[in-house]
Amino acid sequence: MRLLPRSLSGRLLVTAAVTIAVALLLAAFAIGHVLERFVMAGLDDRLDAQIAIVARAVEADGRLDAAKAIDLPPFDQPGSGWAWEVIGPAGTLRSASLRGGDLPLPRGRDWSPFGRGDERHGRIRQRPHPLEGVDTEGRAIHYRIATLPTLRGDAIVLAAGPRAIVDRPLRAAMLPLLLSVILLAGFLALALIVQLRIGLRPLVALRQRVIDVRAGRIRHIRADEPTELLPLVEELNALIDANEQALERARGHVANLAHGLKTPLATLKLDLARFDAAGEGRLRAQVERMEGQIRHHLSRARAAEAGIMAGRQLLAPRLHDLAAALSRIHADRAIVPLIAVDATIGVQCDAQDLDEMLGNILDNAWQHAKRTVRVKARAVDRMIRIEIDDDGPGLPPDRISDLNVARRLDERATGYGFGIAIARELAELHGGTLTLRQGDLGGLAVDLNIPDRGP
Amino acid sequence: MRVLLVEDDEALAEAIARALRAEAFAVDIAANGEDGGHFGATEAYDVAVLDLGLPKRDGLSVLADWRAAGRTLPVLILTARDGWSDKVLGFKAGADDYLVKPFRVEELVMRLRALVRRAAGHAASVIRCGPLAFDSATGQFELDGLPLKLTAFEWRVLSALMLRKNAVIERLDLLERVYEGDADVDSNSLEVIIGRLRRKIGTTLIETVRGLGYRVTDGG
Repeated sequence: MRLLPRSLSGRLLVTAAVTIAVALLLAAFAIGHVLERFVMAGLDDRLDAQIAIVARAVEADGRLDAAKAIDLPPFDQPGSGWAWEVIGPAGTLRSASLRGGDLPLPRGRDWSPFGRGDERHGRIRQRPHPLEGVDTEGRAIHYRIATLPTLRGDAIVLAAGPRAIVDRPLRAAMLPLLLSVILLAGFLALALIVQLRIGLRPLVALRQRVIDVRAGRIRHIRADEPTELLPLVEELNALIDANEQALERARGHVANLAHGLKTPLATLKLDLARFDAAGEGRLRAQVERMEGQIRHHLSRARAAEAGIMAGRQLLAPRLHDLAAALSRIHADRAIVPLIAVDATIGVQCDAQDLDEMLGNILDNAWQHAKRTVRVKARAVDRMIRIEIDDDGPGLPPDRISDLNVARRLDERATGYGFGIAIARELAELHGGTLTLRQGDLGGLAVDLNIPDRGP
Repeated sequence: MRVLLVEDDEALAEAIARALRAEAFAVDIAANGEDGGHFGATEAYDVAVLDLGLPKRDGLSVLADWRAAGRTLPVLILTARDGWSDKVLGFKAGADDYLVKPFRVEELVMRLRALVRRAAGHAASVIRCGPLAFDSATGQFELDGLPLKLTAFEWRVLSALMLRKNAVIERLDLLERVYEGDADVDSNSLEVIIGRLRRKIGTTLIETVRGLGYRVTDGG
């Protein structure tokens, strides 16, 4: 069974509420008890005073001197509930309020202490004992009993008062007491809620920071307070770093694996080329499939998580570098690149991924162009649109629309523009798009849209 | 044509060398960056094939050093690093071409021939000299429109002369482009090869420039 709620504020609320309730109950009981003792002490003092007066009527030899037993009011008033009685070895004295009747004695006590002697006459041996009982009319009565030693045995002095005299002020005091306890409880609950709100606010803020880290808006969590959360923040940052390193390592492993596979694959391909066996075409196709898979997964592994650490990359210098590289790669084609891109235009994207997208699209254009590859770029609602087109033969409209419909890479890989497929995957990973259309120069035009800010 | 192949993977280096030799290239293999850098800086090659991830020294720094020392030999980078950023870095370091592993050997051969041809200053792939035509893309020689069968040594000598037709090529220079680095060179062998070539293409095309070397000329 679950004793505590799942939420932190729930736990704090429940534990605080339980302790406050227990503390208030204890306080109420303690105050009530002290009050009762205090009121009871007043009653006892009155009864004990009467006992002290009446005790003087008990002579040393056990005789009772009725003249010395004075009735202080209200012991002289019949029916008041106030009464006293002296039971000596040689007779009994009673208060006027009893009108000659016996004081009803509390039960459960041995009332035969008479006959015991004591040297210390006329002195009450100890403070009288309290006792509770009921009088003839059914009212609760409080007794005090004292024993006086005489030469002929003990004399017992009893004084009784109505219990109501104590209960009335107690009841009167209980109401304001309970009221103030309830008020106190309400105030504490209010304080508790305020405390929870203020105390737990840093947790809400911390959550927001973790969300920001995940979204790539910030890299680490920065916090100077509260001090209790600082170790957690430190651990979180260490975790973020460890995660990044693990990711980097995993990427490195994939890259190493892929690059490691490439060299034996190259050897295999060269060896296959030497044999003109019947199965060569099939084996070669398999090697090329492996090659395609490696290329695909390597580019995916290399692709930086969109937004994280992606700086702003200026387009123009990268396009010029790529064009220079492509002019060398396709040195016999004598293609003239026309790069009309404003020097200030940049995109929010990982540099390598941007090179990969632009390089693949440009390479495709270079392969198909007759003389010219043209690159333009402009801002189109919060995106940068990079248009790359060539003056080559282009593609029929149905092929273009086919290629614009996203399909499985395997299918795309076998046909036209494996590089375009990779570029599209990367663009989508960065929150952008890639679409093909018929260009004005006659060839294929590729529109690459990349967010100008991170996604 | 003599090729410097800097590749640390022994199996691949052997396979490439075999394929290139089958196309009549003379191939020197360097298995690490240090040796490759040294060979490229001191020996005469028509073209170099350079891997990037090499033991001892990285291919890019080898290339940058060659260029800094004024070595203009065409360099093809042959690497598993297929990213465009890597390619840009390679070209910036001074590469002339870039081929990604795994590759088709035909493509490597074609690219190497094109590099050599362009380095010799020929824009078109077919070089003519009188009745002799050399297609630098396919490596085929034709005499009066008919295919010419040549041995590897003959091909190396004649292609070197054709690529720099009308220019005198020194004997030593020619020898360097014909023999692989570890070959036992007999200084008379060049004369033997020239003699055999003259029997195949006639005595007038290859001219002996006494005390200097040889040249191919159409008499222009």
